[in-house]
Amino acid sequence: MNVNAASPRSRNGASPFSWHRVWAVIEKEWAESRRNKMILWTMALVPLFLVAMVLGTDYFMIRAEAKGQDMDEDEMPIPEQLQHLPRFEAFIIQMNEQYMFYMFIIPMMLPVYIAAYSIIGEKQTKTLEPLLATPISTWELLAAKTIAATSPAVVLTWISYAVMLVGLRFVVSPTVFFYSARAVWILAMLLLSPLLAFLSVLSGVIVSSRINDPRTAQQITGVFIVPIISVSLVVLAGKVFVSVQMVIYAAMVVLIVDLVALYFAVKVFQRETILTRWK
Amino acid sequence: MIRTEALTKRFPAAGRKGVENLAVEGLKLEVKKGEVFGFLGPNGAGKTTTVRMLCALIAPTEGSAWVAGYKVGPDNDAIRANVGILTETPGLYARLDAVANLSFFAKLYGVSDVSGQVAKYLKMLGLWERRNELVGSFSKGMQQKLAIARALLHEPPLLFLDEPTAGLDPESARVVRDYIEELCGEGRTFFLCTHNLNEADRLCDRIGVIKQRLIRVDTPQGLRTSLYGHEVSIRLRAVAPEHVAAVQALPFVQEVRSGDGRLSVKLDDPETNNPRVVRALVSTGADIQFVEEVEHSLESVYLDLMAQTREAAAA
Repeated sequence: MNVNAASPRSRNGASPFSWHRVWAVIEKEWAESRRNKMILWTMALVPLFLVAMVLGTDYFMIRAEAKGQDMDEDEMPIPEQLQHLPRFEAFIIQMNEQYMFYMFIIPMMLPVYIAAYSIIGEKQTKTLEPLLATPISTWELLAAKTIAATSPAVVLTWISYAVMLVGLRFVVSPTVFFYSARAVWILAMLLLSPLLAFLSVLSGVIVSSRINDPRTAQQITGVFIVPIISVSLVVLAGKVFVSVQMVIYAAMVVLIVDLVALYFAVKVFQRETILTRWK
Repeated sequence: MIRTEALTKRFPAAGRKGVENLAVEGLKLEVKKGEVFGFLGPNGAGKTTTVRMLCALIAPTEGSAWVAGYKVGPDNDAIRANVGILTETPGLYARLDAVANLSFFAKLYGVSDVSGQVAKYLKMLGLWERRNELVGSFSKGMQQKLAIARALLHEPPLLFLDEPTAGLDPESARVVRDYIEELCGEGRTFFLCTHNLNEADRLCDRIGVIKQRLIRVDTPQGLRTSLYGHEVSIRLRAVAPEHVAAVQALPFVQEVRSGDGRLSVKLDDPETNNPRVVRALVSTGADIQFVEEVEHSLESVYLDLMAQTREAAAA
């Protein structure tokens, strides 16, 4: 038999968790995504729009201020951490603090787009049964689908954040730039982006077990965006100024939600359930 | 190669708590190494469910099964590594080309020489020239051939084929059937689910007829004989009453019918007794033109078995 000796086999001939198989699925997922124009456009446009929105708003606000137009900055409540700064700079920082939350829309929105196509697409094209008939374990398949959907979104979030910082360097003053590039946001991007992306994919898996249309599954992203927008509005209102401690607490909460979602995702993502109950 | 003991599968009925639908009940079956075993039954008879249980895709509710030396349940991963399956639909990735489709599955099966094995089967199936084209552009027949190649990539000793020619035009079906026939000569064990009775007759060593329960298992010829016995048709220049009487007088003859210049004779052991029938007819002055065995189609065997099952259920 032509079976790879590099894939170690246990006493009964079964392979333990194999990263070869996980990687094979990831490669396949990415190859398919590259040929899916809907995914490509979504992946390109969402980060582009968000970065352009931050840079564009800052640029036009600063230009308008320079022309002497009233930006109503005096009406915005400024948190005490920014009170020592000139009013307009504090106002721009406050705006950017709010926009930073919008960056998390990328890891929340893109993975569920990819995951919905990756799982519901397999249901629609009836490729799941031949796939499940291979020696791949449920955990390997779930891990592969999750990594394939989360990693591009997480990397895109980091790239978008980096591009935004580079842009801000040219648009805003060094003081304003410092606030967007400070450790708390770097930590948030590193820690929260993967956790939120993971939650997004797991939700995609759970929703896919009940829904047959990728577009419907993608609409659940709307539900995720609501808490992000809500927190950003609290920040904009000057009630909260994001700190490292807050990011760590937020990461812990998301991690707990991730674990609960993982429990349900594993429960629905079983061979028999997928083959006989996913309609 | 396959052994099942009282294999049973029930599914929870959709939308009705506590109610179960019986898919397969008490299946007892043995398929030997190198055998081509056909599985016949109407839609919803439990053929696909049986294949899924034997391929370790779904768990039996009761009973046990051993596939390629491994027990269904504890050795599921090993079973999946050692069997190939052609599912009801080809289930190929339309956005990937033929090479990418096969390479993906070869990697999942742990094939050591992925490109070599992929090239071997693409050439064998006449798809090599179109290896870099997207599978979505392939005809149904080509997709089915590619799906068969996918099932063979890891050289499994046991292959499950679920409706391999369903939905194909006659020409594509013939290409696929010819290819399966070629494979059958290679010593692998085949478990073939089909609605196509000619296909089963042509390819299978033994046939099992199922409708939730296993109704009958035998060779195609054995099924015919068990249902209809042996029958010989003798064409005469002219049938006379003394010819009929002479044949009816023979002790091994069960039934004689005449009409259309023929005698239809049901008898035991035709190889031994046909010459005696011929001698009896000649002794009464009959001019014999042809003697041939009456072969009932597998279709009539199948339909009669189903009718018997319905009658038994109604009784």
